[in-house]
Amino acid sequence: MIKNFTVSVNNLRAAANACYSKSRHGLLAMFANDERPINGKFAIYCIFDGRNKKEMLLVKAVIDQHAPPEFPSLTPIIPAAAWFEREINDLFGLMPIDNTDLRPLVLHENWPLGVYPMRKDFDPRTVVPEAKKEFPMAHAHGEGVFEVPVGPIHAGIIEPGHFRFSQAGEAIIRLDAKLFFTHRGIEKTLEGMPIKRALFQVERICGACSVSHTLSFSQAVESVAKVEIPERAKLIRILIAELERLYNHVGDVGNLCAGLGFAVGTSNGARLKEYLMRLNETLTGNRFLRGMVVPGGVRNDLPGELLTQIAETIDKLEVDFIQLVELLQENDQFLDRVNTTGILPYQAAKELGVVGVAARASGVDYDLRRDKPYGGYEQIKFEVPLHRSGDVAARLWVRVDEALEATRIIRQMVTRIPVTAKKLKEPIPSIQPYSTGIGWSESPRGGNIHWLMMEEENRIYRYFVRSASYANWPALTVAVPGNILPDFPLINKSFELCYACLDR
Amino acid sequence: MVNVLDVSFLYMVGQAILLAVLAPFIAGLIKKIKARLQNRRGPGIFQVYYDLHKLFLKDSVVSPTVSWIFSVAPFIYFAAALGAAALVPGLTSLMPEIGSRFVDLFMLLYLFVLGRFFLALASLDAGSSFGGMGGAREMFIAVLVEPAILLALLTVAFRTHSSGLTAMAGVGADESSALALIFAAAAFFIVLIAESSRIPVDNPDTHLELTMVHEGMVLEYSGRWLGMIVWATAIKELVLIILFSTFFLPWPIVGWSFSAKVVMLVGKILLCIAAITLVETVTNKMRLFKVPGFLAVAALLGLLAIVAQ
Repeated sequence: MIKNFTVSVNNLRAAANACYSKSRHGLLAMFANDERPINGKFAIYCIFDGRNKKEMLLVKAVIDQHAPPEFPSLTPIIPAAAWFEREINDLFGLMPIDNTDLRPLVLHENWPLGVYPMRKDFDPRTVVPEAKKEFPMAHAHGEGVFEVPVGPIHAGIIEPGHFRFSQAGEAIIRLDAKLFFTHRGIEKTLEGMPIKRALFQVERICGACSVSHTLSFSQAVESVAKVEIPERAKLIRILIAELERLYNHVGDVGNLCAGLGFAVGTSNGARLKEYLMRLNETLTGNRFLRGMVVPGGVRNDLPGELLTQIAETIDKLEVDFIQLVELLQENDQFLDRVNTTGILPYQAAKELGVVGVAARASGVDYDLRRDKPYGGYEQIKFEVPLHRSGDVAARLWVRVDEALEATRIIRQMVTRIPVTAKKLKEPIPSIQPYSTGIGWSESPRGGNIHWLMMEEENRIYRYFVRSASYANWPALTVAVPGNILPDFPLINKSFELCYACLDR
Repeated sequence: MVNVLDVSFLYMVGQAILLAVLAPFIAGLIKKIKARLQNRRGPGIFQVYYDLHKLFLKDSVVSPTVSWIFSVAPFIYFAAALGAAALVPGLTSLMPEIGSRFVDLFMLLYLFVLGRFFLALASLDAGSSFGGMGGAREMFIAVLVEPAILLALLTVAFRTHSSGLTAMAGVGADESSALALIFAAAAFFIVLIAESSRIPVDNPDTHLELTMVHEGMVLEYSGRWLGMIVWATAIKELVLIILFSTFFLPWPIVGWSFSAKVVMLVGKILLCIAAITLVETVTNKMRLFKVPGFLAVAALLGLLAIVAQ
């Protein structure tokens, strides 16, 4: 249930503060919407987590189009708002007053001043002139302090990101990251697009959590269309989502080993992930499990023989995976590298609104599947692993525990799917224009929260994506300082942050 | 006298060429065995030759900010490695009658140091942060490697009362010094790993710039010059392996035929390769600031060896 509050922009901070104090996990998302064509106003939306299950609080503050384009910043009371506000400032030209850090976030030095691409009067086909601005990076000062710039082009197959380390010898004093290099404007593209086509865009926001994004999108659509999907579709969605979690976590355990040069772990992780991705291809025709989840249900059924194949693959995989994990747990050299490296303290995780594995490794006990149940998760039994040390090791062990938990959920689904009715999909009716909906799901990296507003003929008026990586990137700059430079790749891998999830 | 000198000189040149030709094969073999141990198929054992061939066909991209150091460093590094390959008691140890008396332990070691010195200078030359970082780390490790390598080799030198490599290699193992030899061998093996930039000190296969030591130092190089550095690194590793095999895997070979001695040497080299790949497979890279502790162990073992001598 979503509780809506609409306030004038002057009361935004008071309203947000009231919701923040009542919420469990704080601010989930904050974004702007250009509603001038509807009612002549800009709107700032803040979604807060509620205290009890299924409850979310949504604060909407409106700014008249003739009023100054600004709103009171929430960052002084809610640190998690910092990135959201910088993004609103970049894309909508609505300035958060009292935000001390208004450096550009999404638009870099080549984007001209005063051009706000997410406003409705900006045509997405516009070719903007190349601007030559400065892009200020944060750095530390002092005698003997020097800077190490890394990226945006990296040696491996990694997406672009620029990191600026302020160093005293090998020790990192400060880290600033410049991201959003390959922003694709997906949110803008989706505007005016019918939901049937929008599905394909949303499915391609990210490769590794493709299912989760599609799930959030579908649930947002279903909530505005007031559609209840068939039981069988719910269970198949859970199965697919858990398969996604499993292949990601298994692959990430292997990837972590690459960060410290433990080749046996790396190659075995890659082998097991490949094993799962081939299963994915057999089930859905796509290695990233795309094409299965659609608004209203699922596209294809999983017949008995495929379910048997899933069960067999999972059984075989589990044996090998546990062997790999034991190899790591018994290896002192390995443990020496991961223990106490890159600690994200509980307080920082809580205040920055960190989600997913990174949060649960720092003692923040929050999982959307359990705490805001969606799509049938309320009827199944599962554990949410929690570790408290907040270091690389904790994030690794949370992944391991979650992967094993995912195999249990998958087995439950394999036995439960065959006894449900055959129906897979409900049609999406004509949706009331300008109605809004929220969809959320727990991806392997944490919650993906999508918000949409519809317009006529089942077209999208505005779409907003708060990905798990969006919430977690700022935590990296907290966890890294105090460590040494050669440990950065390891810490970075343990967070498993996604660039594409920012560049939506 | 003149005649003997000429023969041994020709011999050394021949050995340098032979080792230079064989070194990429050994490097490829290490890669292959490592891959097999790690459940991978791995590249073919001649891959390093193909890589070198490719690199030598390419032009070098050179930063406009560099000085002459950058362009001479690969040549000095390569020449030093080749010189070491000429001096190492490999084949010469199998034929003591023509072994040169001019070949000295310190000369061999300081050839390595010379190459490293210029490479570290070159790494600072381009002014990129990775190069400087790699160079700084390499020197920080070298400071600890050099005493350890010296102590280990001096154990053998004390026994022969000579720092001439040929004389050192000529001595077979005798039981009275077995303990000293074991300590010295352990010390030298640790140094061998550190010197050839392998796990757990460095990682030759990584693409993570921030963790690199040797690879970081040569990151600015490309084309032919990079080819020379890669080749020289392979030669240097082979020289170290031969040193280890000759001094620390002793076997009474006096009276054996020449071919039996060659087979023996090859066998010892293979054993050494197997040990290196095994270490690279079962361990991971250690924290950079734990490397001094690891190398201090080597130095301590070397010291113990001398005491036990």
